[in-house]
Amino acid sequence: MAAVAVKYPAFRELGTEVLTVSVDSVTTHKEWHEKELSLMVKGGALFPMISDPEGKIGALFGVYDARTGSDLRSHFLIDPQGVVQAMEILAAPIGRNIAEILRQLRALQHHQATGEFMPCGWEPGKPTLTEKGDAFSTSRRVWETWKPRNAF
Amino acid sequence: MGIQIGDKAPDFRVEAYSQGMTQAIQLSHYRGQWVLLLFYPADFTFV
Repeated sequence: MAAVAVKYPAFRELGTEVLTVSVDSVTTHKEWHEKELSLMVKGGALFPMISDPEGKIGALFGVYDARTGSDLRSHFLIDPQGVVQAMEILAAPIGRNIAEILRQLRALQHHQATGEFMPCGWEPGKPTLTEKGDAFSTSRRVWETWKPRNAF
Repeated sequence: MGIQIGDKAPDFRVEAYSQGMTQAIQLSHYRGQWVLLLFYPADFTFV
């Protein structure tokens, strides 16, 4: 969570609010924030930490695991119209990559602004696919613009 | 019930810890901006 807190300004620069969710109570969130997060990151978490004690929100998004009574490690990127544009679910032992979530967000915003497509490994500054079309027709000519080295 | 890409995110209203206070949060209040909704198994663990 501290990693999200560190990158929170980057999300705000991209016009994005961060909402984190677990089944813990507001009191437990407060305790975690005071005892750990605010000590690891200046100011701590400046975004709302949602309490989902019965896993209802997790269930709405299909990520509540009744076997463990907790929400799965997952994220959803929701656009300004309220539409889900990205989602990822990980097994509990694996932490996520916040930089990758930011990359997905930048790519989605770039697509909505320009209509361009961002092939494998795209980062700001790398070539995009600018030919008009949908993701299926455009991707058939990807070899004209994209080279494997662009993936890394 | 799950979610697919292109679906409207289901709305919810819940309580959150926010900068020292308890705050009511409604997802639809964030229309007009992007939202990263991030679930994790438990406090005091990694994200």
